[in-house]
Amino acid sequence: MIASLWQYVLSGVVDGAIFALVAAGFVLIYQVTGLINFAQGEFAMIGAMTAASLATAGMPTPAAAGLAVLAAAVVGAICYLLAIRPARAATGVTLIFITLGLDVALRGLALFVWGTNPLSLNAFSSGNAIQIFGGALPPQALWVLGSDVVVFVALYLFFRHTYAGTAVRAAVANPPIASTFGIPLRTFAFWSFVVAAAIGGIGGVMIAPITSATYDMGLTLGLAGFVAAVLGGLDSLPGALLGGFVLGIVEHVAGGLWSTGWEQGVGFLILVLVLVLRPQGLLGRAARRA
Amino acid sequence: MGCVLPIRVSSVAYGPIGLVLLVVVAAIVWVLPPYYTGLITLIGLYALVAIGLNLFMGYAGQVSLGQAAFFGVGAYTSAALAVKAGVSPWFGMVLGAAAAALVAYALSFVALRLRENLLALATLALGIVINVVFNQWDFIGGSSGLKDIPGFRIGAYVFDQRAYAILAWALVAIGIWFAGNLVRSNFGRSLIAISAGELGAQALGVHAERLKRQTFVLSAVYAGAAGAVYASQASYIDPTSFSFLLSVNFVLMSVIGGLRSLWGAVIGATVVVALGQILQNVVPIVLPSARGDFQGFFLGVILIAMLILLPRGITSRLGEAHRA
Repeated sequence: MIASLWQYVLSGVVDGAIFALVAAGFVLIYQVTGLINFAQGEFAMIGAMTAASLATAGMPTPAAAGLAVLAAAVVGAICYLLAIRPARAATGVTLIFITLGLDVALRGLALFVWGTNPLSLNAFSSGNAIQIFGGALPPQALWVLGSDVVVFVALYLFFRHTYAGTAVRAAVANPPIASTFGIPLRTFAFWSFVVAAAIGGIGGVMIAPITSATYDMGLTLGLAGFVAAVLGGLDSLPGALLGGFVLGIVEHVAGGLWSTGWEQGVGFLILVLVLVLRPQGLLGRAARRA
Repeated sequence: MGCVLPIRVSSVAYGPIGLVLLVVVAAIVWVLPPYYTGLITLIGLYALVAIGLNLFMGYAGQVSLGQAAFFGVGAYTSAALAVKAGVSPWFGMVLGAAAAALVAYALSFVALRLRENLLALATLALGIVINVVFNQWDFIGGSSGLKDIPGFRIGAYVFDQRAYAILAWALVAIGIWFAGNLVRSNFGRSLIAISAGELGAQALGVHAERLKRQTFVLSAVYAGAAGAVYASQASYIDPTSFSFLLSVNFVLMSVIGGLRSLWGAVIGATVVVALGQILQNVVPIVLPSARGDFQGFFLGVILIAMLILLPRGITSRLGEAHRA
């Protein structure tokens, strides 16, 4: 009983690390633009599908992975330029619907390009499962956790120790005043989409060897990413990390003890509870834009 | 809410036009093949959901990404009662609407505390939780759903596709008449005040929380009744019939027609269903490799294009032409 519980926790950590990456994308875009990007999960899907299809076509895995992240970033840029920027005068609800449209459109586009068959991607390193106190992790888990460390450390360094990062923080804190100081808000909004898409793409590339890649994986991943982001606090990057792991572990434990069909339901119940009891999330500040 | 739409409540007589529409539908389905009659039924049922959604989103200025769940609650309630207990679908329709209302009432205490972004997320999440319940509850068939759902009947007459089309559009006529009177009443004007600014509305003595709740519940009644008829007409339902994508489709219908327009809901439902059919027939000819729900791409692109180019929907242009 305890042993299987421990195994659920370990599996949850792997999923949670992916959720944290998707959630980081949400938080980035929300912080910079005040917008919840419903298409965030699709960036992960594009990363996973591109990497898997390129690798299947014979490209070495590292090159396929790199190109896949680049592809996700390009898609993020196109989404911003074609759908978000032309509607920048719109109100909150309209922008929600636009990102919802992006989500549906990208999923449909993936169906055109890749069809419905799942694509698989080889694990990045071979070897035996890693044993931790009697539980097992697949070797891919190290890559997943490693990418979390790289992404979150890079974000931390950018925001705390670079000039541009400080400017972004100023823009988040007070857009009109930041603007009068010559901080280009619109350029930042563009880059927030590009970077969020790239991070989502990394998440997709990392999870592809574990779950295989399908055109409709983005919805599930995106929804998990929301829950993680809201749970941790929509305006907090460390919150995204924490929220991702909490959600991954809770889902796997609940799914393992109860039934896997309820996994998603448990995640959303958490979301609803957080929204009601602590809308700013575990690590967020009181909501600026409720 | 930012942008405030001009307060212009149309004086069109909803009841009589709804009745004319019903007569037109009744005449059309007499000559149409059954397949197209089925589509007209579907348009009517979706229009009913979209009318309710427009009350909540367009007039009260809220947002719901979980409307398919209420459609599903109505469908499952009526279908389960008919299959398991032999309850007539006529009662099923009433009970389905009541069940959807009850669920909406309970959820409103959670959802309506939130606004915009977070309300969208909460309704989306609740919609998916309800879908998970459909999937996991074995009594109502779990993932394989319910089949052989009894149809509507009057005495010995069992409804055919034509009768369903007439029933659906009769509901549309009643629904639009009721909603039309509502939006021109004090209630409707208070809703518009809420969408313009909840705090301001409260300062004017509008009981915002209660009104939002009543509108949310009413939108669920529309969706629940439509879902109950859908279950009997299709005679088979499973959880995938009430997925997140259907909620997105309902939003699309509302947006295409114009959020603050009841006729817009009818136009939006017609456009979305017709578009789905056209795509289903045209796309495989152009791109033989396309399979599955490829309409999604076009629906998404159209939703974005509409919101950028014509954010107040098709009817906003009609309205301007009318006034000019």
